[in-house]
Amino acid sequence: MLTDGGFWLVQILNSLQLAMLLFLLSVGLTVIFGLLNFVNLAHGSLYALGALCSYSIVQLTGSMWWAYVLAPIAVCLVGALLYITIIDRMRAAGPLRQVLVTFGLLFMLTDAQRFIWGTDQLGVSGTPFAHSLSIAGQTYPAYRLFIIAVGLVVFVALHLLLEYTRLGREVRAAVDDAETASCMGVNVQRTFFMVFLVGCALAGLAGAVALPAFSAEAGMGVAILVPTLVIVVVGGLGSFKGAFVGSLLIGTTLTFGQVWFPQFAGVLMYALLVVVLLFKPAGLLPARSAAGS
Amino acid sequence: MPRSYTLRQTLAIATFAGLLLYWYQADHFSNELITEIAIFAILAMSLDLLAGVTGMVSLGHAALFGSGAYLYALLSVVWGWPASVAMPVASLAVGALAFIVALVVTRVQGIFFIMITLAIGEMAHEFFFHNKTLGGDDGFGDIPRIDFGVIGANMGIDLQVSSTFALAVLLIAIVIYMILARILASPFGAVLHGLHDNTARLRALGLPVRSYQCSVFALSGLLAGLAGTLSAQHTMYISPQLLSWTTSGEVLVMVIVGGLGTIIGPVIGAAALVLLRHELSDVTRYWGFWLGLCLILIVIGGRNGIIGWLEWAWARITSRVDGQDNNAAR
Repeated sequence: MLTDGGFWLVQILNSLQLAMLLFLLSVGLTVIFGLLNFVNLAHGSLYALGALCSYSIVQLTGSMWWAYVLAPIAVCLVGALLYITIIDRMRAAGPLRQVLVTFGLLFMLTDAQRFIWGTDQLGVSGTPFAHSLSIAGQTYPAYRLFIIAVGLVVFVALHLLLEYTRLGREVRAAVDDAETASCMGVNVQRTFFMVFLVGCALAGLAGAVALPAFSAEAGMGVAILVPTLVIVVVGGLGSFKGAFVGSLLIGTTLTFGQVWFPQFAGVLMYALLVVVLLFKPAGLLPARSAAGS
Repeated sequence: MPRSYTLRQTLAIATFAGLLLYWYQADHFSNELITEIAIFAILAMSLDLLAGVTGMVSLGHAALFGSGAYLYALLSVVWGWPASVAMPVASLAVGALAFIVALVVTRVQGIFFIMITLAIGEMAHEFFFHNKTLGGDDGFGDIPRIDFGVIGANMGIDLQVSSTFALAVLLIAIVIYMILARILASPFGAVLHGLHDNTARLRALGLPVRSYQCSVFALSGLLAGLAGTLSAQHTMYISPQLLSWTTSGEVLVMVIVGGLGTIIGPVIGAAALVLLRHELSDVTRYWGFWLGLCLILIVIGGRNGIIGWLEWAWARITSRVDGQDNNAAR
């Protein structure tokens, strides 16, 4: 098995595909975390919402392409509503109260989704890239390559956004030191809001992209949340590149762990988190400079 | 504030008296509810000792609870120990396990503490989920209750009878409340409150902060493990769901709804949520939605759960009776 090149190729592609999906989720969570010091346990529910909305959009329009556009917008709107009604109030509260409020949101969103979409697994047919490709003698579903491509495109786009636009500079400044950034004339409140919306939209996009490959159900947000949180902490809170590296690391750990020791794949991931927290508590690629924190 | 302490003591007496009264006129189904309330009350009190009093918010507490249940099942069913030995041994073993976990997790604070307890709890969940000897994800059944044998039969104590078992668990909860109240009134309790308010100052005073944190984590783990052994005996069936982080979250909700750091608050919270879940599940299938809404309103409401609101109301009533200025009373 170990010397079989095809095995390695397929597993590496699987790791990449899982990593990119996790990246779409963790990047939003980490920047929200870094900027607002806010743990959003409901982030996974926004992902589920994206997938479920996509399902409905496909039922209505018959095309997955509409879902890729409209689902992130729908999730964004729900996110805006949550921000205005609840999250903005909780910004000054301690971590315990924040965790509790988002835990409450997680319950509410999950049950609201059950109410609207039922508890069945929902799949779609007639999606783009439904065929298989042959790579180096291995057949591989083209849709999974599409997920990898989406992840990479988002990574590059966010990198450009962060490095070369005004919003990106404001975000970096606010992550480093929100108070000073505010003194320098950055409207930190507005930056927070924008970042939160982008995070929600990416969660929605992740849901839309995941739907054809994994189908959707109301409880899916809880299951994906934990690996996402692990990535955020392992990569470093608020660190964009950390989220990318962390996603690759966790995606690989989970995929290869599943193949080699199916009983301990999850344990491996948590062990990784514990080790990182003990020896590099700021994460692998910390967002803040040592002096700033 | 001596007045609010007497109010809390009054509430504690009223709560337990109410539960005993409920037991006195209970039918079979109510006995099941009372047992569930008492088990969750013990678990919530143990979490309150950790999260509310000492300020160490753990999202892995259900893992200690579930470990207690699984250890009890392992000792009593797989190894065939008598239940009356298996129960204390399993509880003490969870306490020891919690102490080892505490040595690791007390190295980090704040949100990192929440994350590392979540991770370690989920590790335990994964372990039991895949452990074939203990049933894996199918769970594990046919767990015995403590049997007092001939002596018990002569005295009319048979824990197989649901009303007797409910009373036994309720009495254990009351004893644990009294022990915790005593501990919190002691110098050790004062240190725990201090750890919550200002860890750095206690360290500067020369107190061994981490050994206090580890001790309280171990004590809390022991109580959670005890609750786990009771839960295994109650339903006579266990599953890895007991250890999941959402269970930890639900217990944390009980603590918050009742009142953080008040010890009696979590008992009230446990009773309120177990009864509410029972009542609402008849009306709606979407009980989680209402639970979530409740939680958000209580947290945003800004007072310390049910106890906080009662103390606020009490302060207003008494200040009006005394003819004092309302603002001064606040």
